[in-house]
Amino acid sequence: MKFYSRVFLAICLAGSASLACSTAIAQSASTKVDFIKQVQPILAKRCYACHGPDEAESGLRFDQQASVFGEAESGEHPVVAGDIDASELVARIKSVDEFERMPPEGDPVTPEEIEVLSNWIEQGAEWDIHWAFKPMQAAEPPEVDDPAWGQNPIDAFIYDGLQRVGLQPNPPADRRELIRRAFYDLTGLPPTAEQVDRFVNDSDPLSFEKLINEQLESHHYGERWGRHWLDLVRYAETNSYERDGPKPNAWKYRDYVIRSFNDDKPYDQFLQEQLAGDELDEVTPETLTATGYYRLGIWDDEPADPLLARYDELDDIIMTTGQAMLGLTINCARCHDHKIDPIPQSDYYSLLAMMADVTSWGTRGDQRSNNQIDVTSDELRQKYQANDEQRRKLEADMREIEQTGIAKMSAPDQRATEGPKRERERVLKKKLKDNLDDEMWEQYQAVQKELAEVVQQGKELPPRETVMGLAKTIAQPKQTFVLFRGNPHSPADPVEPRFPTIFETEAPTSFPEMEGSAGRRRVLAEWMTSSDNRLTARVIANRVWQFHFGRGIVRSSNNFGLLGTPPTHPELLDWLAQRLIEDGWKLKSLHRLIMTSRAYQMSSAGQQKGLSQDPNNETFWRFDPRRLSAEEVRDSLLAINGSLNRKAYGPSIYPKLSREVLAGQSRPGSGWGNSSEQDRNRRSVYIHVKRSLLTPLLTAFDFPDPDLTCEDRFDTLQPGQALSLLNSEFIHEQAKRVAALIGVTDKDDLEPNEIVTRCIAAVLGREATSDEIADGKQLIEDLVNRRNLSRQRAAELYCLTVLNWNEFLFVD
Amino acid sequence: MVKRQSNFCGRTRREFIWQAGAGFGGAALASMLSGDGFFDPANAAENTYKNPLAAKPPHFAPKAKSVIFLFMYGGPSHIDTFDRKPAMKGMDGKTVDVKTFGRGGHRSRGRIVEPRWNFKQYGECGKYVSDLFPNVAEHVDDIAFLHSMTADSPIHGSAMLMMNSGRILSGSPALGSWVTYGLGSENENLPGFVVMLDPSGGPISGAKNWSSGYMPATYQGTVFRSEGAPILNLDPPGDLPEGVQRQLIDSIQNANRRHLVSRESNDDLASRIASYELAYKMQTTAPEAVDLSTEDERTLEMYGVNQDRTRDFGTRCLMARRLVQRGVRFIQLYSGGAHNDANWDAHGDLEVNHNKHAGNTDQPIAALLKDLKQRGMLDETLVVWGGEFGRQPTAEYAKGSGRDHNSYGFTMWMAGGGIKGGVSHGTTDELGSQAVENPLEVKHLHATILQQLGLDPNHLAYFYSGLDQKLVGVESVEPIHDIIA
Repeated sequence: MKFYSRVFLAICLAGSASLACSTAIAQSASTKVDFIKQVQPILAKRCYACHGPDEAESGLRFDQQASVFGEAESGEHPVVAGDIDASELVARIKSVDEFERMPPEGDPVTPEEIEVLSNWIEQGAEWDIHWAFKPMQAAEPPEVDDPAWGQNPIDAFIYDGLQRVGLQPNPPADRRELIRRAFYDLTGLPPTAEQVDRFVNDSDPLSFEKLINEQLESHHYGERWGRHWLDLVRYAETNSYERDGPKPNAWKYRDYVIRSFNDDKPYDQFLQEQLAGDELDEVTPETLTATGYYRLGIWDDEPADPLLARYDELDDIIMTTGQAMLGLTINCARCHDHKIDPIPQSDYYSLLAMMADVTSWGTRGDQRSNNQIDVTSDELRQKYQANDEQRRKLEADMREIEQTGIAKMSAPDQRATEGPKRERERVLKKKLKDNLDDEMWEQYQAVQKELAEVVQQGKELPPRETVMGLAKTIAQPKQTFVLFRGNPHSPADPVEPRFPTIFETEAPTSFPEMEGSAGRRRVLAEWMTSSDNRLTARVIANRVWQFHFGRGIVRSSNNFGLLGTPPTHPELLDWLAQRLIEDGWKLKSLHRLIMTSRAYQMSSAGQQKGLSQDPNNETFWRFDPRRLSAEEVRDSLLAINGSLNRKAYGPSIYPKLSREVLAGQSRPGSGWGNSSEQDRNRRSVYIHVKRSLLTPLLTAFDFPDPDLTCEDRFDTLQPGQALSLLNSEFIHEQAKRVAALIGVTDKDDLEPNEIVTRCIAAVLGREATSDEIADGKQLIEDLVNRRNLSRQRAAELYCLTVLNWNEFLFVD
Repeated sequence: MVKRQSNFCGRTRREFIWQAGAGFGGAALASMLSGDGFFDPANAAENTYKNPLAAKPPHFAPKAKSVIFLFMYGGPSHIDTFDRKPAMKGMDGKTVDVKTFGRGGHRSRGRIVEPRWNFKQYGECGKYVSDLFPNVAEHVDDIAFLHSMTADSPIHGSAMLMMNSGRILSGSPALGSWVTYGLGSENENLPGFVVMLDPSGGPISGAKNWSSGYMPATYQGTVFRSEGAPILNLDPPGDLPEGVQRQLIDSIQNANRRHLVSRESNDDLASRIASYELAYKMQTTAPEAVDLSTEDERTLEMYGVNQDRTRDFGTRCLMARRLVQRGVRFIQLYSGGAHNDANWDAHGDLEVNHNKHAGNTDQPIAALLKDLKQRGMLDETLVVWGGEFGRQPTAEYAKGSGRDHNSYGFTMWMAGGGIKGGVSHGTTDELGSQAVENPLEVKHLHATILQQLGLDPNHLAYFYSGLDQKLVGVESVEPIHDIIA
């Protein structure tokens, strides 16, 4: 049987129309039918419309095992394992009687589909659940015949897969390619020419491991990998809508993420802090900052329907949590049972109940109390308190004296002192002295002076520190209800906080007592990060793989459900996930393991057999080349000309935006600050993310819209990118800096071929070829002689061309 | 077993670079590389590169090829423009019971502000139009009025998103993005979705109104300016003599072709080479498209380009017509920008506000309709007029004529592109406070626009977040059949 399936795979790979293969159903009776891949899709497509999650005509649901094998209202059994004749399903789909035949509308079930269903019943009608909803399977790395591919367990899985389809893995990438790949992968920055040379000439067999370790220790690692997380949690620093108002201290959450990666914080802890940083045993400013997770979404300060807006806000959190942490589109069950995955609507609201103590971002009148947490140190807090008390006492003393004087004043004056503060002060200033005796007046002045000093001292205290997060929660949330069609004005059945049923975990019976919150999120966080959670580890292991290799083992990394893409290497995925847990959820260990594999170090070159059999590289016969990401493009431009400011962390920065870009705003320039040149040269991850004003250079290179979670960025190649790298003020500034860096001055003392050689060395970290020198020299000379440009300008323009080269923009 | 490369929730990575299944692989490229070892980028790459904006076949035969959406930002008053309310005559200042919901919240009583302009009958259909739009009124026989529009929000921010993307939540693709996603652009050298802003500024929420949301940025609206280089970064810096840009691109392409050798199997490299040729062509196509110097004096006069009041909107209407002629799919023109009385948001003095904005736009809009018609383009061009909502029949404040927002009932109109002329669909009550007959939602308007473009509104879908997302929402929506010719 295994033999057949291997042949089948090979045929599939050979065919270019691989889509047809994935739904291929024709096969011999002896081949084992796969319920998930073959039967379920037919049932979903042909039967669910009337007998499924939405409607269960005649009480029959083809998405539920009990219903399929049970007795229908008609008395018949839809499916009887091993008995085609007794299975009403087969009789109905084969029937020629138009009143009998199912489905009653649309095309009849095809003969191939009938064959699959019949074979499945004949073979025992094994009902299976979707792979991702099963517990992780214990997987041993397979034995492989090439010892070099047997050392790293990852390689054993990959090599075994290739062997099965008769493909050979690519040879190793050359060292120049490898260092560039690893640098961009771990830090998002190119290696310098010296780093390349050193690595290329380093004969130490452990040199690559050394390089990996060095880069993992660089703070640039967190800047690159933290950004992956920020995409997933739709990080932004404003609220969108008309005012697109700021989210104060949002950048501290961004720094929290970057720091967590740099510190190699265990992933389970990372999730716990974000989900329940206010409910942990040890609550620190850091864990409170982590709860900024709940504050990243869009927020309408003027909603037409406030109750709906509240549920939209929670839905945004459920969608993000479900997809980013669990790889589940639970959000699809907001208005009805999930159409495809076994997630009933009640699961959605039970999960919502787990987070029911999360308050809204704020109200139009108060946009801070719910989301800004005072994390000032106790010592400083006490100083503030002492200062406050002193101030209040002195104010009371003053008032007492004032009242003595006021008592002697005329009635209208007395009345005036009871009115607005301004009035009172006017009267006091004018008449208090005359109504006090000298001693009291002196005393009054002394107190006044002392108060001024105390106020001044208060002003001189270091500022209180606030972070963005769950500043207020609801200690006792109201009962949660399933909402009919998702309508908050139509509550239906009550639900209790519990986990989605597909996980088959017991509903929590109690929640820890917390001060000010419901204790539910902590339970949620613990469940989510328990080692037997079926999805959490798989989902993050898959993401780590995705960001190293360009695609996940499950390509739809936010959707492990039935509509997601199945894993190309399911055993490898489960193995990696379990290994991650064994290593204490430490991502850096996983990076090391993956990057030291031969699979990771393969060349990206084409290979005839691979290209023809598996053009999409499903089997990882090569390492997929890729374009630089938006941040990598910008950061590399700054890095190679030496102007990159490598400072880590801190408030966000504002690159210069041109007038025409700002003109798109209703108040041009509103909400966009000025940064010093030094700050403008910082890495892109520190650029202020304003929802209605994204930086055009980044957007051109597929920086994602920050309103919704992004599992994987697009890799478009569009003319707008070319225009921004040819004509923007930014690119010309960078080209000019490259020219200056390589010694171009207005004295014209650098020969054209020298300009070319130095420029290529600076930008690409290698020697120029003779063709390149000839071309570059010709261009520069032509610009000078025929176009009458200065040598300096011509050199700058030459540098600009090199910044546009594919070699610079792509990683092999 | 083996699926196409599909990272993005089932969407294929290259779907946005290549048309599905039509990308060229190593073999095609290898043959191109034969001969002298290189291919001519000006020919080969272009011929094989699949622009993400390449025209795609519609679902069925379209009535309209392009859309010009005249967005009256701020919310024009329907009862003062196209929705005549004779019963309000003489009621000015009277307090009546009427449910309203606007910026000022929910109210159940208010002081009537009688419509401030006279209405006259026009055309064969005898449609009443107010004195605010005497020129547009001449075209009522080409126009279908939708008097029973409603929206989910009477607040600018969410209502703008609603009208532009079908949802009050930020993050969904704009109508123009859906259209370009569905149909591509007839002219690959121009963006498929163009936005032209009012000189006073962008609308509130700025670029959110033409964002492509969860779709690639390829489909987002491109802001065209009416002065200087129309597109961001289109022109090289001023000090570069003519021809230098081409030289630079040639040099880049040379290097890229050398780099391509031994990397033929990486389609993206060839695509990027081709994208530079496209960018280069755009540099000549886009300025030509908006260059009005070839338009005759009569045309300029007709659009009001020579008069101060109408110069700006007239220029943009004329640019819109030229862009349609060049195959741009979706053009959105904003009348009004920034805040307060810089747009139709007449909270203060209704007369001052609406006289200004109608006066700036009436002649240009009429000219656009006339021009399209006489050139035989109106049949294939769908013109849509309206704002994010209408205005209330009652006064917002104790004094004055300002009206608050009204999303319970308002008017939009459509013309051309297979839409019946001289018809009015739906009604509001006697005060225009809410839709009563045939109430319409924004999704019906959107469905009608898609339908006329040959796209099935219930099938134009984009897979994201576990769902087949649709502009018109998950439930099936019918276009407004009554106004379709």
